[in-house]
Amino acid sequence: MKDKTPEDRLQPISTGAANLVFVAPAMLLFGLFVLFPLLSAVYFAFTAWNGFSEPVWVGLANFRRAFADTVHLASYWHVTLYILGTLFFEVSFGLLMAVLLNSDRFGFSFMRGMFFSPMILSMSAAGVLWAFVLDYRTGLLNSVFDALGLDFLVQPWLSQSSTALLAIMFVSGWKFAGFYMIIFFAAIRRIPRNLYEAATLDGAGPVRQFFDVTLPLLRQNMMVAVLIAVTGGFAGFDLFFTLTNGGPFNSTEVPATWIIKQAFDQNQLGYGTALTVVLAVVVTIISLIYLHISERANVIRY
Amino acid sequence: MRTCITSLVALGAALVLGGTALAQTEIRVTHSMSGGSNRAAFDAIVDAFEASHPDITVKQIVFDDDLYSDTGLITQLQSSEVPDIYFQWAGFPVQRDADAGYARDLSDVLGEGDWRDSFSESVWTEGAGTMVNGDPYIVPISLDVTNTIWYNTDIFAEYGIEAPATWDDFVSLVKTLADAGETPIIEGNNELWPLGNWASHIASRVVPPAEYEAAFSQEGPFNTPGFLRALELLEELHDAGGFNRDMPGLGADPAMAGFFQGAAAMHPIGSWLVGSAAELAEDDFNYDQFDTPIIDDSHPLKDSVIGTATGFIIHARAEHPDEAIEFLKFFTAPEQQKLWAESGSLSPVAGVNETADLDPKTASVAALFAEAGSIVPPPDTTYPVPVAEAYYQAAAYVASGEKSPEDALTWLDETIAVIGQQ
Repeated sequence: MKDKTPEDRLQPISTGAANLVFVAPAMLLFGLFVLFPLLSAVYFAFTAWNGFSEPVWVGLANFRRAFADTVHLASYWHVTLYILGTLFFEVSFGLLMAVLLNSDRFGFSFMRGMFFSPMILSMSAAGVLWAFVLDYRTGLLNSVFDALGLDFLVQPWLSQSSTALLAIMFVSGWKFAGFYMIIFFAAIRRIPRNLYEAATLDGAGPVRQFFDVTLPLLRQNMMVAVLIAVTGGFAGFDLFFTLTNGGPFNSTEVPATWIIKQAFDQNQLGYGTALTVVLAVVVTIISLIYLHISERANVIRY
Repeated sequence: MRTCITSLVALGAALVLGGTALAQTEIRVTHSMSGGSNRAAFDAIVDAFEASHPDITVKQIVFDDDLYSDTGLITQLQSSEVPDIYFQWAGFPVQRDADAGYARDLSDVLGEGDWRDSFSESVWTEGAGTMVNGDPYIVPISLDVTNTIWYNTDIFAEYGIEAPATWDDFVSLVKTLADAGETPIIEGNNELWPLGNWASHIASRVVPPAEYEAAFSQEGPFNTPGFLRALELLEELHDAGGFNRDMPGLGADPAMAGFFQGAAAMHPIGSWLVGSAAELAEDDFNYDQFDTPIIDDSHPLKDSVIGTATGFIIHARAEHPDEAIEFLKFFTAPEQQKLWAESGSLSPVAGVNETADLDPKTASVAALFAEAGSIVPPPDTTYPVPVAEAYYQAAAYVASGEKSPEDALTWLDETIAVIGQQ
C-alpha cells in the first residue's frame, strides 16, 4: 500500500460549493435575524415613520435633529457620569472589599458570600426593590432618617435632578461591587506569598504593600474590570428604566431610555431608529478601543 | 403581492376555521381594561351577548394600559391576524388610523339612522374627534373627563374650607393647607401627562383659542402673553407650596393610591379615579370633586371641561365585520349601557346617564359634562404627540420650580423647532 503524502493528509474533507451547504443554515439565520434587521434599520433611520402609516424618506433630517436634540446629547453625558460613578462605587469598592476580606479566618468567606449575593438578583428586580427603599413617602431610607431625627436628609431621592443619578449609581454599586470583589479576590490569591514576605523584610507596612505590590500586580485585572464597567455602563438600561425612566426632567436620561420614549411613547419610529444607529456607531467605536486595549493588557509582570 | 398573501392567509384561515367550527364565529376584541369595575361590566355584557347570539363568541385580547398604547395595539393592527374590534381614543389616533387604512369607515351604519341618533348629539360634533372628514370611524363607548380636581372632604372639613369658586380662592386654600403642614396637591407626573392635561386645561381657559390652536399645531409660537399667563398660574401654585415634593418622579398610580391613603388634600386627575376607588380606597374614605375654577371671566372657554371620548374601531381588514357591528350595536344599546354606566363609565348614549342608577361620583362627573360651556380635548389625543409632550414638560418645569415661566416657554419653542414639522 502506498504511503500517504503530506499533501494527501492536508486534503480538506470537502471542497468548493459543498461547504456552502454546511454554512447555509447558520448564514440564513444570521441574515434573517441580524443582517436584515440591521440594514432595514439603516433604511428606517432616513424616514419619518410613526409605525402606523408608510415610511416617508426624509434624508438626513433625523440625524440633524439627533445632533440638535439637547436631551439626546445629554444622555451620552449621563452615561459617562454613570460609568465614572460605577468605577468609583463598583470597581474601587470591590477592590477595597477584596483586600479587606482576604483572609481565611472564620466568617470571612461568609461575608464574601454576603457581598456577592446582590449579583444573583436580576437587574429589574433590584430596581423595583430599590424603588421601594428610596420612595419619598413610604420608603425605608426616609423612614430611617425620620426615626433618627435627621429630617433634613429626608429627600425625594428619585424625584430631584440633584440626587436621582447619584441614587442610581449607588444602587448599581450595591449590585455589582461583589462581582468585582470576586475578580480581585481571585487575582490577589494568585500573587506569590514570597513577594509580601520580601516586602515585609524590607520594612513595608500593609498600606505600602498594597500600593507597591498588590496594585501593580492587579494591573491586568484592573484593566479588565474597567473595560467591563465601561461596556456594562453603556448597556445599563434596566436600572434607569425601573428607577426613574430617565426623569426627573431628563436628568437620568440615557440613550436607551430616550430611544424608547421617542420610538414607542411618541410614535416616532423613524427618529428612534436614527438614534439607535447613532448608538450603534458609538458602541462600535468603544468596542474597537476595548479590543485594542485588552490585547495589550495580557502582559504578566512577574 | 401583499394583498395576494393576505388573501391566501385569509383563505387558509377560512378553510381551517370552517372545517372545525362551522356554526361558531369568533370575533376578536382587543382593549386595555385589565381590571376594575369597568372590566367586570364589560365581561357581563359580553356574556349577555354570547347568550343571545349562540353562534358568535367574543375573544378578548387584553393588555395593560401603557403596553397597549406603546406596542400592544400597533403590533396587532399590522399582524396577519388582525382584531375585528379595537379600543381607541377619539381625536388624533382616529385620524391616524383612518389615514393608515386600519380603521373601517362606518358611514354605512353610522352615517345616519337610528343607531347614530341613539348617541348624544355632542358625540358627532367636529371637536369630538370621532369623525374624519365628516365620516364616522369610531363607535364611542365612554366619555372621560381627563382632568378634574378630586379632594379629600375630611381634610377640607378639618380646615373649614370649601370647594373654591375662583382661582384666587383656590390659591388661598392651597396656602392655608400648605401653611398647616399638609400636602395640598398630590400628582404623579413621571410620565408628564397627568399634570400636562391639567396645565393644558388651564391654558385653554386663558390663552386666546386661535393662539392655542396655532401653537399646538406648530403654526405659531408658545412664547406668547397668553401661555405665559397659563404657566404663571402654575408658578403661583408652586410658590404657595402646592405640590408634593416627589411629583416629578412619582407614577400616576402611586399618586392616586397616595390620595386614597390621605397623603394629600387634592388630586387632579381624570374621571377614571371613580373606577379605581373600589380597589384603592377604604370604605370610610370621603371624597368629591370640583373642576378648575373660573380664571378669566371674559374668556370664551372660561367654563370648559377637558375631556375626550373613547370607543371601539372596527378594523378595515376585520374578518367578521358584520358580527363586529352586531356586537357594538348590542354593546351600545340602552340596556347594556345602563350596566356600563353603573360600573363608573360615563355613557355616550343619549338618556342613559339620566336613567341609570349612577354612583354619586359618576353622577357628579356627568353633571360636569352637562353643565360645561364647552369641551376641550386633551392635546395628546388631538395634536402631534411630541408637541403635546413638550408642552407637558414645560408645565412640569414650572410646577416644580425648575424653570421660570419665561425660560420654560423659550425652551419649549426651541425644542419644538428641533422636533420639526410633524
